[in-house]
Amino acid sequence: MVSTIQNTDVKQKDADRAVVVAVTSRAVFDCGAEDGDDVYGVGVAFPLLQALQRVNERLLEENPAESLLFDVVLITTDSQQQQQSSRIISNTRHYGLEISRFCFSSEEDFIESLLTNHVDLFLSTDRSEAAQASHKGVFSALLNRKVASSEQLRVLFCGDAVIRPDTDSPSASQDAAQSFSAQLGEMRQRFGLLHSPLSIVLVTSRGGRESCGTALRTLRSRGVSVDEAYCLAGAPRSPFLSLLRPHFLLNNDLED
Amino acid sequence: MSLKNGPTLTARGPDLASISNRTPLEDARMQLNPSTPTRKPKPPKPENAITIGVSARVLFNMEKEQQIYQQQGLEDYIKYQVEHETQPFNPGPAFSFVKALEAVNTRLRELYPDSEELFDVVLMTNNHAYVGLRLINTINHHQLFIERFCMTGGNSPIGYLKAYHTNLYLSADPAKVREALEEGIAAATMFTQEKMTQVSDTQLRVAFDGDAVLFSDESERIYKAHGLDKFFEHEKAHENKPLDHGPLKGFLEALGKLQKKFYGKGQRMDCPIRTYLVTARSAASSGTRALKTLRSWGLEIDEALFLAGAPKGPMLEKIRPHIFFDDQMFHVEGAAEIGTVACHVPYGIAQGVTKKGINDKETSAAPK
Repeated sequence: MVSTIQNTDVKQKDADRAVVVAVTSRAVFDCGAEDGDDVYGVGVAFPLLQALQRVNERLLEENPAESLLFDVVLITTDSQQQQQSSRIISNTRHYGLEISRFCFSSEEDFIESLLTNHVDLFLSTDRSEAAQASHKGVFSALLNRKVASSEQLRVLFCGDAVIRPDTDSPSASQDAAQSFSAQLGEMRQRFGLLHSPLSIVLVTSRGGRESCGTALRTLRSRGVSVDEAYCLAGAPRSPFLSLLRPHFLLNNDLED
Repeated sequence: MSLKNGPTLTARGPDLASISNRTPLEDARMQLNPSTPTRKPKPPKPENAITIGVSARVLFNMEKEQQIYQQQGLEDYIKYQVEHETQPFNPGPAFSFVKALEAVNTRLRELYPDSEELFDVVLMTNNHAYVGLRLINTINHHQLFIERFCMTGGNSPIGYLKAYHTNLYLSADPAKVREALEEGIAAATMFTQEKMTQVSDTQLRVAFDGDAVLFSDESERIYKAHGLDKFFEHEKAHENKPLDHGPLKGFLEALGKLQKKFYGKGQRMDCPIRTYLVTARSAASSGTRALKTLRSWGLEIDEALFLAGAPKGPMLEKIRPHIFFDDQMFHVEGAAEIGTVACHVPYGIAQGVTKKGINDKETSAAPK
């Protein structure tokens, strides 16, 4: 059973043009942290939502009629949280989060909720949840658990998978991945080189400079211009991820 | 790998001209890129290698582009770079140094095929990744062995220098160089030179100034504050007290470690690395403390040249180092005039800023 509630505080986005990003309420709010009063603590996905919001604000500054905006959907599957649906909505209001829709579903139906909401990107802190969605053709990625910036949305493309697509995932997911990338690329073009609220970062872990060059060309052919590129050629990845502080990693087929 | 595991030998035409044990993947790679050998050596792990970080502007000549950036701004600069993507840059001041490092690596790999104690050159640039393809094309064109890079799109490279365990950082930007020094990374500013004399392509030659480069600036302070006589007096009195170390001590140490690998295989005479001390100190007096200091550190230097205040140019002309480190712009400029690639170490009293960082760390310049 899937139910969707529109957030009347927030202007609804153009369904044809918006980039729909779904996040679980588990990732946004730290529901365990509440201590009697109705306010939840902030979760891992909080800086992400703030960054997405900032991108939207800047997009509308450039063009008040802009329709290529992020459209955030909050998915709640935890039955305990569902009982507190009004709390989730009130907390959204409390923190001023730009969430368009609230979706409540059972664990089994959450993929259906993603599909009915035409989700372009599903972000989760749960690896198996992301994998499940990916298998059903919903482009998914893991949220970076470490604190990321709320000033600038930082999206990291893992280059090794850009050039050697994961043959396990169905082509529907690959299409979704490419479609999202193209949208992101288009959004990035709305801003100049400096002071952009969105930065696209490429990291190739394994190959040498040719791999990175190929990844740059491939992304360019999909309409994605990369801001920062790091070619590690086998150097350990985690010190770089700590410095880069992305909000999420795309096409990440490596264990962290 | 035996032929049994390879592709089935059927008549396929020209591909069979050379019998090979290659897998289909390697075959494909050869056809795409016939100039690269079947197995390119893998870059060493950063913690095992001697990592040299070079910025784009010192590795290549980007003067024209730099001018466009300064006069017309970033957007025009990027546009120009992308339009000229397939046009390789010409070599910059650090180019011959990097080529010499690769020559040493080739010799090291011959003697120690399984060792990762090699030079690893990393391109560390502030450029946006838009310039990336032009840089990669240029590296390919000049057949440089650079497999690692960071294009930070304007962000500080310092954190990434540390992540690569960088032993030496060369950049055209003095602010970044200073920042690196403050973080305990050996670093120097390089300048584009009109004249660059021919250097050896079989022997890497590295020349260092003494005070405020290999050694701390403590003695230089005395000279500046109290004059030459006091300086001589002080150095004589403290002859047996080792000087504190300077920002490039660690790099000399790293070079020494590699030199010993050649000595170990009976190649002392033929060693492809040679180090020089080129100092204004005099052999008769103040030079003794310098030599004793090096000895106390367990470091050797191949040639110590005490100029007793004479200009360094003529000596450098004789040595023809690939790179010369000095803390005083006067000497850097003098060296550049005669065509030596000289770089400035903005450290110590000669800069008019207080030293910090280097002497607070007991260990050598980079973590290893």
